[in-house]
Amino acid sequence: MKTKIFLILIVVCSSIYSQRIDFNLPQNIKLFADFLFCEKDYLRAIEEYGKYLEVIDNDTVKFKIALSYSLMNDQLNALQEFSSANNSSTFYEQSSIEILKSLYLLKYDSTFYVFGNDLINSKSQFSTNAQKLLNTSIFLTEKGLPDKNIFFKPFESEEKLFLEKFYDQKLNPPYKSETAAGIFSAIIPGSGKIYTEDYGDGITAFILSGLLTYLAYTNFEHNHPTRAWIFTALGAGFYAGNVYGSIASAQIFNAKVNFDFENGIRLFLEDKDYFSPTYDFCK
Amino acid sequence: MTSVNKTIVFFLLLAVMNLHPQTSLQQQFDSAIELYNQEKYFDAITEFKRLQFFDKENLYSFQLNLFIGKSYKAGSKFDEAIKYFTLAEMNAATEEDYFNSKILSARTNILRRTTKQSERILNELNDDSRFVSRITVIKYWQGWNYIFSDEWDKAYEIFSENILDTTLANLCKSVDEELYSVELAKYSSYLIPGSGQFYTGEYISGVLSFGWNILFGYLTISAFIEDRMFDGIIVGNFLWLRFYSGSIQNAEKFAVQKNLEISNKALKYLQFQFRGEKP
Amino acid sequence: MQRKKYLLTVILLMTVTVNSQTDWVRWEKSDVSYQIKDNYLDREYDLSIKSASDIIVKPVINAYWFFISDVDGANCPFQPSCSSFLVQSIRETNPFQGVVMFFDRFTRDTNVFGRDEHYPKYGKRHFYDPITLYTLDTNKIKFIPANTFINE
Repeated sequence: MKTKIFLILIVVCSSIYSQRIDFNLPQNIKLFADFLFCEKDYLRAIEEYGKYLEVIDNDTVKFKIALSYSLMNDQLNALQEFSSANNSSTFYEQSSIEILKSLYLLKYDSTFYVFGNDLINSKSQFSTNAQKLLNTSIFLTEKGLPDKNIFFKPFESEEKLFLEKFYDQKLNPPYKSETAAGIFSAIIPGSGKIYTEDYGDGITAFILSGLLTYLAYTNFEHNHPTRAWIFTALGAGFYAGNVYGSIASAQIFNAKVNFDFENGIRLFLEDKDYFSPTYDFCK
Repeated sequence: MTSVNKTIVFFLLLAVMNLHPQTSLQQQFDSAIELYNQEKYFDAITEFKRLQFFDKENLYSFQLNLFIGKSYKAGSKFDEAIKYFTLAEMNAATEEDYFNSKILSARTNILRRTTKQSERILNELNDDSRFVSRITVIKYWQGWNYIFSDEWDKAYEIFSENILDTTLANLCKSVDEELYSVELAKYSSYLIPGSGQFYTGEYISGVLSFGWNILFGYLTISAFIEDRMFDGIIVGNFLWLRFYSGSIQNAEKFAVQKNLEISNKALKYLQFQFRGEKP
Repeated sequence: MQRKKYLLTVILLMTVTVNSQTDWVRWEKSDVSYQIKDNYLDREYDLSIKSASDIIVKPVINAYWFFISDVDGANCPFQPSCSSFLVQSIRETNPFQGVVMFFDRFTRDTNVFGRDEHYPKYGKRHFYDPITLYTLDTNKIKFIPANTFINE
């Protein structure tokens, strides 16, 4: 009897101290999935978390799956996963603000505004974030801007400092007039392009038109009519080209103003990660 | 007595089995290798990484890094492959392991066309006295490296000197002989515009080039002779110079294009029909 | 040497995590082609008649390309080349406007300064300057900032 107890003890101790690992145990799957998540290996993390959820229901895991999709920029799947969080979930408020971010990135404009306004009025801890995102997004639409004080209310001082110039520019964009450019170039060839800040091209246009006019004139004077007419035709061509080009240059200038504006706002939003919260899943 | 002995043996066996530390890790490794052999590389990497995470004592460190690297290489993800081969190299316990991971690193660099790096790795191995016996392997991949860096003459030297693979030696030799000399094409067009094009087999372009150069050369020189300096400068600069430099440009372009065709043909053969070991 | 190896491991591990984007989509076994691609831009000879003006323009332009332009080397720093620009502008607008656009393009071609800060880059040696910027139709203008690389 004593021998038997002794032997049983040996077996029990050996199984405690053995290094047998069951890779398919849910907690081991979760440990590995958390590791993958922190390594930014999101697709694999999603697969592992999925296996975990087949056995155990867990709000954090569901949220991390949705977050993984979002971090891989698969906003469609992210939206689906975040939306499955109901208000009993631990991450309900975080899911809501992440849904707003996904709606913005997917460009579902009307849903974005409706959902955003609901979130602002819901007194969630992320209402300010939602307000910031909604306000910033107005810059990229044709909508009118609200009063300055109302607009900048949710923002911090350094954000306000940055966005103020965009606010002013949206109200008064520094466009160049196409008509003005055309008229300037009609009077003095090249001046229209200098007006639209195309200095090199403006000077070149002036020189070419001037040179050809001079060549035409001297050839008429020296009685070389064929050459003179060729130079006249070329001169006329370059003159017409210069007027046309100045108008096009003004259009391109204005397109650049719009591009820089929109790009500035986009980079700002990217930098702020669309005002979504930061998480400390990976310390 | 006998039944007590049997019981003792039975329990002792159980204890030994329990204490065998690597059963589960080895099983995991084996199933991951199974996936690798089935060419399911993405999943194989997942299982290798799983084992890596739980292998706290780093018993499998070298093998895991090596196989993850090989899986990435099979999927043409060369940057990742090289990183894991380098990690394997650092975890190599034996010289054999170190050598194998270095060679795989070199081969991946060849495929990625970062031939300077593979050259450096292979030269390091060449200079390493530990691997004198493996010189054939090193030379073989040095040859392939020359093929991929478009140095067919050096590749031929390697393959022929070391009696490695006569098919490869013959192929490299024939490619090297077929290739046009880009310098020759360029410089003959410096001397006689259009001749570079003739050399590369583009006869029409050569004739046109030659013709334009003769015409504008004649017009420029006659303008200078008749003391019409301005005309001479205009014709010379805007017409003659243009066609003269165009001829040199085209000669170079045709030589480079034809050479590309020749080497691509050889590379295609190597990729799809050559039966020997490939990077 | 040990210290170097340690540093290298750290750097490698950091870059491994940064580059994990490779595995954000499932991938299968694949082989990379051994063959090398040609870097030269090829002329698009095309004798198809797509509009009325093509009946005159096409033969003239193709003859120009064959006898002159292909022989005097690649001189135009822009993509599309000046002659292609002319053809495309005539096709997109009308002969008169196309010719005027061409004169403007020639002016820009003459100005050798400041191209780096003005035009996006195309391939290794050219600048990108499509006709859509110059048709005077603001809806067609798609602004691309300078120093962007296109079709590399």
